[in-house]
Order: sequence, then C-alpha cells, then structure tokens
Amino acid sequence: MTLTTPTIIASGAIDAFVGQFGLAWSKFFAQVIIFWIVFMILKKYAFGPILGMLEQRRQRIADGEAKLEKISKDAADAAKNSQAIIDKAEADAARVVKEADEAAKALQDRRQQDAVASANSIIAKAREAAQLEQEQLMSQLKREFGRMVSDATSRVTGKVLNTDDQSRINQETAAQVSA
Amino acid sequence: MSILLPQPASFSPLLANVHSYASGLFEESSTLGFLTNSVLVALVVLCIVLWFSRKATKNMTLVPHKAQNFLEFIVEFLYNQVVGIVGEKQAKLAFPLLGTLFIYILVSNWFGLLPGVGTIGWGKGTGFLSIDAAHEPLLRPPTADLNATIGIAVSSFLVWLFLTIKEIGVWGFIVHTFGPKGGLKGIMGMVVAVVFLFVGVIEVVSIIIRPVTLSIRLFGNIFAGENVIHAMSDMMNGTGAIGSFLGSIILPLPFYFMELLVGLLQAIVFTLLCSVYIQLSTTHDDHGHEDEHH
Repeated sequence: MTLTTPTIIASGAIDAFVGQFGLAWSKFFAQVIIFWIVFMILKKYAFGPILGMLEQRRQRIADGEAKLEKISKDAADAAKNSQAIIDKAEADAARVVKEADEAAKALQDRRQQDAVASANSIIAKAREAAQLEQEQLMSQLKREFGRMVSDATSRVTGKVLNTDDQSRINQETAAQVSA
Repeated sequence: MSILLPQPASFSPLLANVHSYASGLFEESSTLGFLTNSVLVALVVLCIVLWFSRKATKNMTLVPHKAQNFLEFIVEFLYNQVVGIVGEKQAKLAFPLLGTLFIYILVSNWFGLLPGVGTIGWGKGTGFLSIDAAHEPLLRPPTADLNATIGIAVSSFLVWLFLTIKEIGVWGFIVHTFGPKGGLKGIMGMVVAVVFLFVGVIEVVSIIIRPVTLSIRLFGNIFAGENVIHAMSDMMNGTGAIGSFLGSIILPLPFYFMELLVGLLQAIVFTLLCSVYIQLSTTHDDHGHEDEHH
C-alpha cells in the first residue's frame, strides 16, 4: 500500500495535467511537424539565400575596399610621377627659354651689326655720289665761267682770242673759282 | 459589522473565457481530431512565413528591395547574436534552428494579439451572429498550446543533442558531464571525482528538465497574456452597451503593448537559452590540455 500510493497519486496528477492542458500525441506531432516544415522553409527560402547574399555583399565590400586601397596607392604613385614629370618639364622649359633668350640676343646683335654696316655703307655711297656730283658741277661751272670770261674778253677787246688765250683765261678763271 | 470582500468566484468566469487547452475543430475521435484552433493558427503562421520568405528572397539583388532588406536585417541581427554566443563554427549548424525558433515563436506570439484571435468562435448565442463569449474560439496562438511549446522544446532538445554528440562525441559528453575538473590527484582527486559524479547526475536532471522548463515558461507567459487581455476586455461588462464597448477597447490597450513586449521577450528568452545550452555543451574542455602543458 505504501509503495503503490505515490505511484497512483503521480499517475493521477499526470492524467489531470494531460487532461487540463489538452495534451495528445496527435496534436503534439501535428505541432512538431508544422514546426519542422517552418524550419525547412526558413532554411531553404530565408536563411540560405539571405546568408549567401550577405556573404556575397561582404565579399564585394571587401573587394571594393581592396580596390579602393589599390586605387589610392596608384593615385599616390601617379601624383608622384606627375610631379616628377612637371618638375622635369619646368626644368626643360627654363632651359629652352634661356636658350631662346640667348639665341634672340645673339640674333639681335647680329642684326644690329648688319644694320650699322648697311647704314655706314649707304652713308659712304651717298658721300661718294655727292662728291662726284659736286665735282661735276664744279667742272661744269668752271667751263661755263671760262667760256663766259673768254666771250666777255673778246667782246671787250674786240680781238679774236686764239686757243692759247682761251686756255690761259680758262685756267686763270678756274683758279679763281676754285679759290 | 460586516465587510464585503470580493468573492473569488466572481472572477472565475472572466478567466474561464480562455481555456488552458486548445479547442478541437473536429471530433476528438475523427481523422482530423488533431486539428485544433492552435494547429490552425500554426498552419496560418506557416503560410505567412512561407509567403514572406518567398517574397523576400525572390529576385534578390545586391541593392535589396524592401522585403529583402527587412528579412536581411532580421537574419543578420539573429546570426550575429548566435555567433556571439555559440561561436562561428557552431553558428553555421545551429543557426537554422535558432533562427526558426525566434521567428516562429515571435510570429505565433504576436498573432495572438490580432483582433479576433480568441474572441471569434462558438459560444452561447445572444442574438444574430452574437455570443456571450467565445467558449470555443476559432483561433488560438500555437504558443498558448502546451502541445506546441512541448513540441518546439523537444525539437530543440533533439537538435541540441545532435550538435553536442557531433561536436564532442558520446564519450566526450559523458566526460564533460561527469568528469572531474581541476586536475587534482590522489585522495583529493578521488573525493573531487565523487563530487563531480554527483554534480553530473544533477546536470543530467537539469538537462532532462530543460524541455519542460522551456515549454512551460513559454506557454505560461502567452497563456497568461491571453487571460489578462480577455479579463481586461470583459472588465466593463454589465455597465451598459456603451460602457462595455468602450471598456473592451480602452482597458486592454496598455496590456496589448505589454504583450507585444512579452511576445518578443519570450521569443528572445527561448532562443537565447537554447543558444546557451548549445554553447555550454559544445565548448571543448581545455583543462586537460592546460594540465599537459603545465
């Protein structure tokens, strides 16, 4: 009696518990099956694709970060290279400008010298032409003046002057004109 | 001098509106006897989960659309929490179960707060399409049915057992449970071994009790919430049509917010406890290795 009483009480309590909360194997398995169907649905249609997408996105971000880092490094290298090119170009430009400046100066000097020489030549030629013209005029003047003196002398003296007289008058006249 | 004390019997009809069991939609002895109002809601929850999962993961893109973004937010949040507890390796195996637990319990809990759940059903007719109370409601949240909570808890227990045996083996589990820790030798070692043997027996009892505690905790909280909301809704009954109508809307309103919180909290607690159980049993005991190093 003392051994069986607790068993009966426990059995009765379990029956009461089962009855009070409507526990039944069929309902229990129905709930379990539904839960496992939800599990399979979520595993197949939610967790798998979503975790895959998250991993893909994480990988993409990691790749992007790596590319960004590479681009930054390339940009820094490019900046360094471009600075070197600019520096070299500036040096070349300065050298070219200096050479051009020197060439221009040399050309200017040469042109100046040519111009001076040309001017001197023109002046000399002009002087020579003027001298020649002056001499021609002077000669013509002497000749004309001698003729006029001879003519005046022959008219005043009424004498026909011979060649020697004319020559002597011309020489005297020319001497006086020259003086 | 007499004092009028409130009679407990006067509250019983209010609480009695919510049965402690799920009502069958068919005769118990029929083929569809398993189909209770909670099984019906479980099927609805299943359909909701299936519909939303398909909607969210159909035509997935790197720039997510709204449904995909929402599901990604939930899954990523849950996964990070699970990884934080059980570690990266176990998370890959355990996450489908833990994620399902959280989503299924949360949707079931909140489904019980929808208007009509627990209030539309069969009862004593008081007029055209009108009953005094839904004694046999058409819908009942699965988590307010002990069959469902025990089913979920037992399923979790089986997965826990599978993961544990897979990770540390049967002998590893026995050593992990009963084995002495501390590396003591000699007589002290033997004394400690006996103590740890006793602790192991207690541990086994606690492991066996886990499905019971998990299931009753969840059931108790949700069932109590149903009762509270029903009690608050019926509190103003008998004060006239308008008073009863306003009372049934205003009085339960604060408790709806509380039950929203309770529903979320219970889903978190259930999932978190399962995660901790998995973490505790799948963590390798490195003391032996440490002893070897020393």
